[in-house]
Amino acid sequence: MKIEPPIIDAHALLGAEYHLKLDPVELLRRMDAHMVETAIARPMGAELAVFNTEGNNRVLKAHPRIRGMAAANPWFGGKAIEELKRCRDLGAVGLFLHPSRQGFMPTDDLVRPLLDFAVEAGWPVMFHTGSYVQSDILALGEVARKYPGLNFIAGFGGFTDMWFELPGLFAEAPNLYLDASVMWSDAIEQIVRERGESRVLFGSAEPRNCYAAGLKMFERLDVNDQQMRAILSANAKRIFRLP
Amino acid sequence: MRIIDFHTHLQDRWFLRPLPSETQFLDGMDRCGVEVSCIYTIMGFYGNCERENNQLANYARAHPKRIIPFATVDPKLGKPAVEELERCLSNPVFRGVKFHNWLQAFAPSMARETMIEILRCCARHDAPVVFHDGTPPYATTFQIAAMTRWVPEAKIVLGHGGLADYVYPAGQLLRDMPNLYICFCGPKAGDLPYLVEMAGADKVLFGSDFGFSDWKMLAGRLDDVIESGLDNASIEKILHGNAEQLLHLKERPL
Ligand SMILES: [Zn+2]
Repeated sequence: MKIEPPIIDAHALLGAEYHLKLDPVELLRRMDAHMVETAIARPMGAELAVFNTEGNNRVLKAHPRIRGMAAANPWFGGKAIEELKRCRDLGAVGLFLHPSRQGFMPTDDLVRPLLDFAVEAGWPVMFHTGSYVQSDILALGEVARKYPGLNFIAGFGGFTDMWFELPGLFAEAPNLYLDASVMWSDAIEQIVRERGESRVLFGSAEPRNCYAAGLKMFERLDVNDQQMRAILSANAKRIFRLP
Repeated sequence: MRIIDFHTHLQDRWFLRPLPSETQFLDGMDRCGVEVSCIYTIMGFYGNCERENNQLANYARAHPKRIIPFATVDPKLGKPAVEELERCLSNPVFRGVKFHNWLQAFAPSMARETMIEILRCCARHDAPVVFHDGTPPYATTFQIAAMTRWVPEAKIVLGHGGLADYVYPAGQLLRDMPNLYICFCGPKAGDLPYLVEMAGADKVLFGSDFGFSDWKMLAGRLDDVIESGLDNASIEKILHGNAEQLLHLKERPL
């Protein structure tokens, strides 16, 4: 199936973490090279774990075509909520949580005020999933059950060795969406086939994955035109409430 | 460019789920331009190693220029495992060994004495040993890399180069351990330049896990290498040069 614009990238990373690095200028250059209209970015590394204000400023002030998911470490308590309020005023479109980097269990009580704030702000919540212990995709499943009115996105889709949990979890949690940025084609096709294309989002995982490889993978998916449009842009538009 | 896929599985099923057939497997290789695939079992990780090893050898006999089987044994059995390995590696058709500690349900240190015997046997036959890595509690990248110190003459390959969460330490280990290699199968395009920067392009081999899923997985894993932005000379080594060396394809052509 041919890839055509509009394309919305539901998961890019800005900043620096280990060997990975990406700044807004370079992200825009890569978006232009691959006809990506909008990217939804979130902080990484120290700016995800500790220096949330710096990371949020980086993604929220990057460029009008780059929208941001706000990061706040739940251990900051009331200060985390203050930071999220500031991000809402700066135009954030979602909340990003990384249980492994930020050191909590998705089911911990200390996360609840942040989720309550996401409800109030009308944001979806993306959790990093796939790393053992804290980022257990089934822990996200438990949270999704407790907040049926909130949309959750499984960041990285449980990559890699929680992939076999996806079909069962997606059957049980209707408010859960798949960030397909690093998954392989037949795991994505199975969700589309069994749960419908509305549950899958195109993401790039730039700079860990790249548009060139990612878009080719999506192009090879066994889906029809209308399903492809949903995956590449319509779902993200709806879930992140983009204009 | 010649492509050798160092990490595939050729098996009719995984539990009840059907997997690409022998014909579909060869078609997928053709479609993606892969000349040679190193094939591993899947169901053999749960038992019946001898039967599964024989089946892998049969595939290689049917497609001698395209397929290289890697044997597996169950180290929990002790001596019989070493004997089965010796039987396989004495047959020139087998050129490597694969373990999947997670599925085979052992941490290397639980079977330390047997693993040392096994690694010595592999070293005697100069056969590379691939381990699944990146998954706790039996196959963390550290658990696999630790074995390079047990038998320094063995050539140990991280089957997934750290997979999702262990890529950064995988690069450090690759740099620090002379007899450790990485099969680039799972990490993403943005990870590859880092691994090469840490240890040079001579210790990284392309692998896809094809056979566990359809040809699109192979195509996608190839893109992870091709779109990484690495220079051509490095990509040549990763896609075929390093595998040719580890498998002795120049000295012992297929
Ligand atoms: Zn494999």
